Amino acid sequence: MSDPVLNEDQRDALQEVANLAMGQAATRLATLLDTFIELSVPRVRVVAVRDAANMLRDMTGIDEPVTAVRQGFRSDIKGEALVICRSGSIAQLCALVNDPYVGSTYEAVSQEELVYDVANILTGACVSCILDQLGRTPVFSAPGLLGASMSLDSVFQANVLAWEVALLVEVNFALEDQSFRAHLVMLMTEDSIRHMNEALDALLSSL
Amino acid sequence: MNETSSSLSDLVVERVGFGIFVLDREMKVLMWNRFMHDHSGLSAEQVVGKSIFSSFPELPRVWLTRKLESVFQLGSFAFSSWEQRPYLFRFEHDRPITGGVDFMQQDCTFMPLTREREVVAVCVTISDVTAVSIVQREREEAVAKLQEYADRDGLTGIANRRYFEARLRDEYTRWQRYGGDLSVLLFDLDHFKKINDQFGHVVGDTVLRVMAQRVADVVRVQDTFGRFGGEEFALLLPCTPLEDAMQVAEKIRQCIGDTPVDVQGAKVPVTASVGGACARTGVPAYEVLINEADAALYSAKRQGRNRSVAFI
Repeated sequence: MSDPVLNEDQRDALQEVANLAMGQAATRLATLLDTFIELSVPRVRVVAVRDAANMLRDMTGIDEPVTAVRQGFRSDIKGEALVICRSGSIAQLCALVNDPYVGSTYEAVSQEELVYDVANILTGACVSCILDQLGRTPVFSAPGLLGASMSLDSVFQANVLAWEVALLVEVNFALEDQSFRAHLVMLMTEDSIRHMNEALDALLSSL
Repeated sequence: MNETSSSLSDLVVERVGFGIFVLDREMKVLMWNRFMHDHSGLSAEQVVGKSIFSSFPELPRVWLTRKLESVFQLGSFAFSSWEQRPYLFRFEHDRPITGGVDFMQQDCTFMPLTREREVVAVCVTISDVTAVSIVQREREEAVAKLQEYADRDGLTGIANRRYFEARLRDEYTRWQRYGGDLSVLLFDLDHFKKINDQFGHVVGDTVLRVMAQRVADVVRVQDTFGRFGGEEFALLLPCTPLEDAMQVAEKIRQCIGDTPVDVQGAKVPVTASVGGACARTGVPAYEVLINEADAALYSAKRQGRNRSVAFI
């Protein structure tokens, strides 16, 4: 049972919401970063947090250490978003916001700051767009590093995360000729998932 | 909003303990609260309606413009933490001057202010996190100091066995991958038990400290010198063939044996035996290297002590 909390209609609706949201996010990111970033059709799963590591490994084939940045968001649907990326791909991730100014010594930007910036931009664009589809305007808290080089299992350790349900949104970010993957995970409590179900139902009935 | 509630929010914004200001897309200041006034010395009347850069030319122009632009374009939040960027504004802080904290350490949040899904302006908040940053810096320093102690031998102040073996393991792994030369010397103070018995443990400890210091003074900076236990010491020599290592062994043996140690007026003669070994194909692990050096040391002892022997 991979989606214990969503019925089939809700699941389809959520997939559709995510598709629309990623389209929107890609457009916004392209304007901001001045390069076209291709976002894949997201693969969406809702799982219990304890199953999240295994599910994400199955979806992505990641066995290497990952870098994970966490960031809280809140509305009546609240939770935490994680941007997860292979530690070896961090340079590519940072290249997303690499423009000539970033390299200048006059206003130097550290790699760490870039990682936060990119994670924040990706989370901001994707989470806002998803919640926007559901009629919510989330407020975000500052991003923090969960770990620079950790295993997927330790990302989803029950004692690290206070959440019960994980909404896995697997997105590929492709930049010009180089393609790499980053993964967005939204973690929520059952309460928030219930609010999301209501929002999805409202969306379905409005069609 | 009625008049009472709007004036209440105005009062809150005025009195709240962090900086709040609002910028439009041309970086013009639309609002400026009391915190910003107090810390910058510039009042709302002086900055509102003008570009923030005309009032604060020292601000990181490219960085700040990008941040603002990302909020306008994405409609989502942006952040800046003191850990990556200690401050945005050069505000003084009210903490005692400690640990090189020059200006108020700041966490900044950039919030989109939207009307009908359109971002009309960006609200920036500045939190004073100087106290947090000082505590964290002190903690980092304490951890670094603990780390340092964890690597040192309490009596002699040179590397302890745990640290020595960690360094040896690293160097050995490097050697396995890149080849080159790597040698190890083990040495032992001769008849140390007798010194302890004859002069007492306090003198014995002094002898260990003095010898460790003498040897530490002659080894190269890139070598790791550690106390292996009791009166046994070890020296790790990266990029050094066994032949050169044995010259170092002789130098160490002489610096130990040539001058007796002066303890409370008594002259205590001390000599040392040294065993050396080097990494070469067929040595499967760093522990074997240690064993070989130990075997060479044992044969130096058997041959009458106060000499150095290479493992062949």
